[in-house]
Amino acid sequence: MSYYFTILSPTDTPIFNIAFGTSKGGGDGIARFRFPDTAQYMNQFIIHSSLDILEEAQWTNGGMYLKHIDTYPPAAAYISAFLTPSGARFLLLHQPPQLPTSGSSSVLGGSSLLGSSGSTTRASSSSVAANPTSPQTEEAVRQFMNEVYESYVKTAMSPFYKQGMEIRSPVFRTKITAAGKKWL
Amino acid sequence: MSATKASRIGEEIWKTRIDKVNAELVTLTYGTIVAQLCQDYNSDYQEVNKQLEKMGHNIGMRLIEDFLAKSGVGRCANFRETADMIAKVGFKIFLNVAPTVTNWTSDNNQFSLIFDENPLADFVELPDDGRAQDELWFSNILCGVLRGALEMVQMQIEAHFVSDVLRGDDTTEMRVSLVRYIEDEMPPEEE
Amino acid sequence: MPVYSFYIFDRHAECIYKRRWLPRPTSIAGKSSRATDPQAGPTGLGQTVKAGDDDAKLVFGTVFSLRNMVRKLGGEEDNFVSYSTSQYKLHYYETPTNIKFVMLTDLKSPSMRIALQQIYINLFVEYVVKNPLSPIEHPGGVGVNNELFEESLEQFVTRVLA
Repeated sequence: MSYYFTILSPTDTPIFNIAFGTSKGGGDGIARFRFPDTAQYMNQFIIHSSLDILEEAQWTNGGMYLKHIDTYPPAAAYISAFLTPSGARFLLLHQPPQLPTSGSSSVLGGSSLLGSSGSTTRASSSSVAANPTSPQTEEAVRQFMNEVYESYVKTAMSPFYKQGMEIRSPVFRTKITAAGKKWL
Repeated sequence: MSATKASRIGEEIWKTRIDKVNAELVTLTYGTIVAQLCQDYNSDYQEVNKQLEKMGHNIGMRLIEDFLAKSGVGRCANFRETADMIAKVGFKIFLNVAPTVTNWTSDNNQFSLIFDENPLADFVELPDDGRAQDELWFSNILCGVLRGALEMVQMQIEAHFVSDVLRGDDTTEMRVSLVRYIEDEMPPEEE
Repeated sequence: MPVYSFYIFDRHAECIYKRRWLPRPTSIAGKSSRATDPQAGPTGLGQTVKAGDDDAKLVFGTVFSLRNMVRKLGGEEDNFVSYSTSQYKLHYYETPTNIKFVMLTDLKSPSMRIALQQIYINLFVEYVVKNPLSPIEHPGGVGVNNELFEESLEQFVTRVLA
């Protein structure tokens, strides 16, 4: 499973990005998206295109964690979202190492976006990786989001951080990486 | 007076005579002041350090009266006692921390305060402009507070930070040196 | 128990507050009547004689010398507490920050050391030092003569000590 995580400020400015891979089930924590290296922007494209759905989803329940809100079948990209009360949005794109076999085979062949690197990733045995919409995955993402939220609040409390500014703190990046390693 | 006795006094006053306020409120207020100073002085951190020290000096001159009123302690017999009083009573009742007093010079005129925790600097990450890490002493107000407070009890001192965990150092250490004892002032001569 | 007058001196040896209640024995008060001191507090009960700076200076000189003499004889830790004449009793309290509190009462009054300490802790620190609008030092008494402090002092002297 590969992940792309992004934080958007309440005014839609991307303030933090990170790509990482799973550390569960023997994963080495390195992201291997099935895009050619030249198409990394695809992650941002997919993740930002889910914002409209997020805006609808945010009214469906009172919780901050909105779970899995969007899927982009051509790339088998699943988007989970977390909304802070102040309007900052945490979006997590996850892409399983190989496409789920059931029901998506038609899009597999049809997508020209998929690079060849996908074939090199090994199948993971962990349930988190195996099924992006399973309750276990949702729970793991929830834990991850909560931990990110905690770090985000602390970073936002730093007197030198201004709302809407890009988060450049290395401490924050380290914490997110650690949270990713721990839960995803 | 021994350090342990000072600790006991500090603990007692902290428990019974101090109005507590929310720590985040203090941290955010102080952080905002420092950030604003950095902005006002265009990130001239030397100047920011100086301003913080000056603000601290004004605070210290008032705070000492509150300290004496709350603690009821009398004059310290020597500078070593003063150091314990600052660390175990002063810092304890105003910030609920008790820095370690250490690294005395042989003439007993200089010591270090090592801060294991610093409530002023919670959440803080220095600006990453490449200079703040080397120039800004974020908690420099504390140096001024000590200078102001001790000036009121007839001690001229000099205090400065020598390391800060915010800069990536292992400890936060403040160096305090006694310059001289101040003589009583006499009334001006009549013309 | 009548309180005659009350003085505060700061660390620069300046009288930053004074207050009189009853006229002191005429032999002292009569001598030093000059122009009204603008810094003196509002007129107290039964005030008849307005004294200038002179009495404050005399009082300071007296307590300063006495305190130094006492320390010379009794050691640094020693401090004088009061003295009496045939007319009045002078009570003295000094903080470690060298602020001196002086109160003149009649002869029958018990030690006022605790009372002076209370004035320092509960009135001076609370209403003068902690008042953010008051300056840190009080040249000419600026900041000390605020309403809260004066009223509380008045109450303290007339109700608690009376």
